[in-house]
Amino acid sequence: MSENDAQKQGMVFNVQKYSVHDGPGIRTIVFLKGCALSCRWCSNPESQHRQPELAYNAGRCLGVSKCGHCIVACPFGSIRLGERDLPIIDRSHCDACQSKSCAEACPAQSLLIYGKQRTVEDVLGVVEQDMPFYARSGGGLTLSGGEPLLQGEFALALLREAHVRRIKTAVETCGMAPSETLREAAQYLNTVLFDIKHLDSEIHEAQTGVANKHILDNFRILVEEFPDLPLLARTPIIPGFNDHGKVIAAIATFLKPFERVEYEMLPYHRLGTQKYEFLGRKPPMGAVQLQPQKMQALQKIAVHILGERVRIPH
Amino acid sequence: MSTLTCDCRSPQEQRLQDKIAGKEDKFRKTHGRVFKLLERFEGQKPRIDIERALYFTESMKETEGQPLVLRWAKALMHIAKNMTVYVQEDQLLLGRAGCDGRYGILYPELDGDFLDIAVRDLPTRATSPASITPEDAKRVINDIAPYWKGKTFHEDLNRSLPPDVHKLTYDDPEGLISRFIVNETASFRSSIQWVHDYGKILKRGFNGIKKEAEEKLAALDPLSCKDNCEKRPFLEAVIIVCDAIVLWAKRHAEKAREAAAQEKDPQRKAELLRMAENAEHVPGEPARDFWEACQSQWFTQMFSRIEQKTGTTISNGRMDQYFYPYYQADKKAGKITDAQAMELLECMWVGMAEFIDMYISPTGGAFNEGYAHWEAVTVGGQTPDGRDASNDLTYIILKSKREFPLHYPDLAARIHSRAPERYLWDVAETIKYGSGFPKLINDEEVVPLYVSKGATFEEALDYAVSGCTEARMPNRDTYTSGGAYINFAAAVEMVLRNGRMKKYGDQVLGIETGDPRKFTTWEEFWNAYKAQHMLFLKTAFHQQYIINKLRAKHFAQPMGSAMHDLCMKHCIDLHQEQIPEGINFGYFEYMGLGTVVDSLCAVKKLVFEEKKLTMDKLIEAIDANFEGYDDVKALLKSAPCYGNNDPYADAIGREIDKISVEYGGKYSMKDLGIHNDVRYVPFTSHVPFGKVVSATPNGRTDGFPLSDGSSASHGADVNGPTAVLLSNYNTKNMGMRDRAARMLNIKFTPKCVEGEQGTEKLVSFIRTFCDLKLWHVQFNVLNKDTLLAAQKDPQKYRNLIVRIAGYSAYFVDLSPDLQNDLIARTEHAVM
Repeated sequence: MSENDAQKQGMVFNVQKYSVHDGPGIRTIVFLKGCALSCRWCSNPESQHRQPELAYNAGRCLGVSKCGHCIVACPFGSIRLGERDLPIIDRSHCDACQSKSCAEACPAQSLLIYGKQRTVEDVLGVVEQDMPFYARSGGGLTLSGGEPLLQGEFALALLREAHVRRIKTAVETCGMAPSETLREAAQYLNTVLFDIKHLDSEIHEAQTGVANKHILDNFRILVEEFPDLPLLARTPIIPGFNDHGKVIAAIATFLKPFERVEYEMLPYHRLGTQKYEFLGRKPPMGAVQLQPQKMQALQKIAVHILGERVRIPH
Repeated sequence: MSTLTCDCRSPQEQRLQDKIAGKEDKFRKTHGRVFKLLERFEGQKPRIDIERALYFTESMKETEGQPLVLRWAKALMHIAKNMTVYVQEDQLLLGRAGCDGRYGILYPELDGDFLDIAVRDLPTRATSPASITPEDAKRVINDIAPYWKGKTFHEDLNRSLPPDVHKLTYDDPEGLISRFIVNETASFRSSIQWVHDYGKILKRGFNGIKKEAEEKLAALDPLSCKDNCEKRPFLEAVIIVCDAIVLWAKRHAEKAREAAAQEKDPQRKAELLRMAENAEHVPGEPARDFWEACQSQWFTQMFSRIEQKTGTTISNGRMDQYFYPYYQADKKAGKITDAQAMELLECMWVGMAEFIDMYISPTGGAFNEGYAHWEAVTVGGQTPDGRDASNDLTYIILKSKREFPLHYPDLAARIHSRAPERYLWDVAETIKYGSGFPKLINDEEVVPLYVSKGATFEEALDYAVSGCTEARMPNRDTYTSGGAYINFAAAVEMVLRNGRMKKYGDQVLGIETGDPRKFTTWEEFWNAYKAQHMLFLKTAFHQQYIINKLRAKHFAQPMGSAMHDLCMKHCIDLHQEQIPEGINFGYFEYMGLGTVVDSLCAVKKLVFEEKKLTMDKLIEAIDANFEGYDDVKALLKSAPCYGNNDPYADAIGREIDKISVEYGGKYSMKDLGIHNDVRYVPFTSHVPFGKVVSATPNGRTDGFPLSDGSSASHGADVNGPTAVLLSNYNTKNMGMRDRAARMLNIKFTPKCVEGEQGTEKLVSFIRTFCDLKLWHVQFNVLNKDTLLAAQKDPQKYRNLIVRIAGYSAYFVDLSPDLQNDLIARTEHAVM
């Protein structure tokens, strides 16, 4: 089993060391590509599609007059000189990820490909580098995405193999994954971070692209069938979507009977904005911001209902 | 929250600290006395006090021809008799080496041949300026400097170096300007940094040591020429110096009584009388309580600074150990509160802040920018029988570090595998406070290495941190001259330029290893590097060989020797080349590890393996300082770098370490008779060393600083702090003995370590550092100002991690818009 697992492949777009905010201890996050939701506030737009994507960071670009290697390299002639000495990419005539010529030619890492097919062996090799830190801090591997459980076979292979190697595991999930995958994953998980974004299914569907029934069903499966699995429910607080007392009160009330579930609210941030630009997309949220006072007010509501089960993030 | 670096402080950071100190009055109430003391000299440019140099020179003129150790003791007696003594308003301790306020003193025996230049340039020089009155300047030029012309250690060294060594050491025939290639540091201090066995003085007093010397003197064989020629003058010197410090202390007692007689405030009057009583009793006799213990230590420390400029000032040793019995007894007797104990310690901190370790030579100044202080206080660690050593005093010192508003003294916390959780939490909280203290030194690395080099477990377990990152065993190891600082980035340049450097034109400085354009394999390039590397090492050892022999002719240290068990046992001065039964820990400094590894990686990968770049083009780009070659520069920077836990880069790092350790292992004990081991601790010298090296194949431009210590190149470590630690671990040759200290800097933002969770994660990080057996680590916890600086100069701050909302990111990877957002929020995050 283990040998097979080690060679399984999946689409990974980032491995981030020294993560200290997503799960216990010092952790390494492995980001898997592809998600069933398309939240407007998504801070990892490069995670949404399953296929590799070409990104262009103009801030790192040396300019065509000083470099221009990408223009020469593109086999389709899809990159040409644009304004301000910067190259312009015709994404309609670009297979981005098949030939990788421009990204390989770019010396400044201004052009790069999000997403790479990697084996379990390769990924866990990187994760295992920080074992001395997990041992002392109680940390380990966190699978994130996208929705990591959508790449079911790969995600399960990662978790099983991590279990064999005694790496502690966590998953950050939006809940929109096959229940069977979730059930099997839960056997190898030490912690689950589960997003509950809104209890009103219509609003949920309007803003994320999917209804929430399957998500809530999955949540109940975890609570009821895996009574020993630590579970943290999380709500990203998004202006105009769920930053209302009533919405948060409803979520907190929904969670109240599940006594061992902890709860955390994450304030909306705009760190993903420039990644939309790298991908040639417009950031859907514009310049909206979340006021800290609002966040504090919502915290209070949650604490009122759930008491010490609410974690106050820094 | 303040900004901080610990050991390597730039003037800018110094200013930042001072500004923050002005604001931080929240502890004023509980630290009223020290605040008053501090405000009297805040922002003052240090003044040069010439008395020490004057009286020292006067006496030395009178004693020519006598044994050096005796001359030194007589000079100290002359100083003790004549030097002005001071009683400072509000101070609880007595003893200074010079005038009120911030001051420095001169050691003409060391580098008196620069004194006239120094007196001219010191007030205006860019790094660490100091002021001197016109009258004093005249006396230096007329009464002090002329005597030392032709007699100083530095001149002797300059004359003694053979031409091939001289040309890599100095840039001029007088040896006033360093080449910054194989740089000698022996001429701006008499030995490397040192710690005295203060505990012995507290217990026995100088009168106890004097008695021992008298008994030994009486027991000498009157018919033995060795006893009479060597031991007798040594013992006589010890007796004189014991009398000198006691006399000096008693003059302070007298002065304090005079002050008390005139004092109107009854409380202060009582303090002054008590201070006089203390000074009457210590350091001659054993200390009877905590206040006397502090006074005894302080007299000893200050008189030792008058005696000589060792290392980079004398360190304070294991304060929480040797003071503890006195603190404990006073507490038990209800004689002292914790606040009073802290106040006495802080009166010492003030004295340390006022004394500036002056570096007269331009090279010395560049090594220690911003009035570097190195009087490390050591806390924690293990007892000589291997149990945890932390106690209540440990926590008082750590607390004082969080509340005392200046970065003096330097503080080192020893870490071991069984360090109690409370201790590590307190250490982590102190680090988070943001002043970069304490630095951490790892027992799990130091103790076994010292045992392997000949110490007993008891001695090794009782080591004290000294200076930057060194560890000393005050009664077992012995003096060594400052070692060579070797610019290995220059070795890379010499490979590219066939034994030459851009700065020095056609002069062949290294080995002509051939035109690198003709190299067809990486092995050829590597062998060329190795040839330059070995030339530098051989030059450094040759230098050291001469230095070790010269030192004993120029320096004696009767007071330091009086406190050393082995010196007393064998009746021999600490400056002699070999002390029987002693262990001699020297070092040579590897400068620019990150710069060299990254450069070699880029050449290996891009030129020889992937062939993305020809050697011709690389040299063209380097000659042009990358102007017009931005693409080449970017490509070079994309090669694997040290500090990322990248096996490609780390393998080269380990190989470089190995050839250095092997060389030391082969030649240091055999040829030099000392452990001359590779070390990675640059102070601030990676800046001046960088100035002589032209652009390098890691994309570094002409004159840019080298990487510091065992840290990564500027901004090259982009995989987070765990990778930095692991790369350090990966590049060490754990199976080999001839290794010494490695210095490692890590930066965090306050947000990264915020709250209890943040402390907990910092504690795990420290425990892992301990598990990995790394020698040293210190943390930068940076604030808004640093983020602003990072915005202006993102290349230098590439690895700065910031925490916002749900995760951490590299600050410079964010858009300007978001950076501003963060800067605003970080201010809210200030604790």
